[in-house]
Amino acid sequence: MAETCALKIKNIGKRFGRTILFRDISLEMNSGDVVAITGWNGSGKSTLLRIIAGLGRATIGKIEFYRNDVLQTEFDRRHFLGLVAPELNLYDELSARENLAFLMQVRGLQKDRQAIDHLLQHVGLAGWEDALYGIYSSGMKQRLKLTQALLHSPPLLLLDEPFSNLDTKGIAVVDEIIKKHRQRGMIIIASNEQREIAYADRILNLSE
Amino acid sequence: MQTGFLTYLNEAKAVWLRDLRSEFRTRYAINAILMFAFTTLIAVSFSLGSFRIAENDKPFLYATLLWIILVFSALSGLSRSFVKEEEARTIDILKLSANPIAVFLGKLFFNLTLLLTLEVLIVPAFVLFMGYHIQHPGYFVTMIITGGLGLGAGTTIVAAMIARANVRGALFSALSFPLLFPLMIIAMKGCEKAALAAEIAGWHEVKIALAYIVIMVTVSVMLFPIVWEE
Repeated sequence: MAETCALKIKNIGKRFGRTILFRDISLEMNSGDVVAITGWNGSGKSTLLRIIAGLGRATIGKIEFYRNDVLQTEFDRRHFLGLVAPELNLYDELSARENLAFLMQVRGLQKDRQAIDHLLQHVGLAGWEDALYGIYSSGMKQRLKLTQALLHSPPLLLLDEPFSNLDTKGIAVVDEIIKKHRQRGMIIIASNEQREIAYADRILNLSE
Repeated sequence: MQTGFLTYLNEAKAVWLRDLRSEFRTRYAINAILMFAFTTLIAVSFSLGSFRIAENDKPFLYATLLWIILVFSALSGLSRSFVKEEEARTIDILKLSANPIAVFLGKLFFNLTLLLTLEVLIVPAFVLFMGYHIQHPGYFVTMIITGGLGLGAGTTIVAAMIARANVRGALFSALSFPLLFPLMIIAMKGCEKAALAAEIAGWHEVKIALAYIVIMVTVSVMLFPIVWEE
């Protein structure tokens, strides 16, 4: 039987001091759903993604993750999602292969060189496996960020402006990843780009 | 239960090895620590010189100077393990991927590796330059090792706490010093005893240092997930 997953965001709000960034955001998602978060610059798209990822705290409200209808603990969140975001960085002094091997190990997975090489090949980084991340171009870095988000096959993919810095080949790779992932998991895309929003079944506009 | 603990250890080992690999390639912390230690040692040995100090004063003075060099050298570089994650903006990928306890243990192992490297290089040089005569070498070495472990245990949690602050360097020293002060006193006393022909039966200073390590690691493991989430 195929695994099912769900995400429930209940009345989330965030404020910095007296400034309210957003409030009363609620969202329910199930396997196969793709939601786009849109809004003006500064409306809180990236902040909301960071809160869902556990990298920031909501001022109010709660977020629940379900796997096969079982509520997941905070501790399990790292196994539940993969994040790609402009401010996310990997280790400059490590190669792509070393970065991914490290992330596999800290996630409690067995270091699998074949799986790593396969993923790198898939995102078009074959031949660059042993080059240091620090010398990668911004487009190559974006491809590697996508790879790390897929490393543990998470049910939920959080993509903050996924096409940024990518050439047409890179965009085709993201296109394939999104189409493949939506067959079994959930995707949230934060963007104002029409090409990226086009994947979504629903749009959550934070500017409204 | 054991499986869970072994998983933590394996993940901590991954963090430790990655930090070692990064440090080997960038020499980010070790250069700061060793530069401070060697320049202080040379300054101390030049200004004091073994011939200028009365024999009776040597055990106490040398033990004090040795631990001042070790503690302040450690303070000059031990915060780097967490600060570097913050500066390189890799802290998010670590938070997304790793268990907090594994991160703490990995960083602790890394700081202990740096401290043991510092001790292996500085302590023999200090003994040689200063003409430090030690009557109980076994006790002395044990005191140096347990003191170093205590230093690592006391500073790692502080490094995690100050990593996001603006005035990290000053804050690290200011917060670490009160925590390290009892350990410094015990370590100085232990090294002084090792240099004298004093009674060391009971190994009291070593036992107190071990108790300090257990307390600091236990409290840090309990506190770290809260510090990490903030």
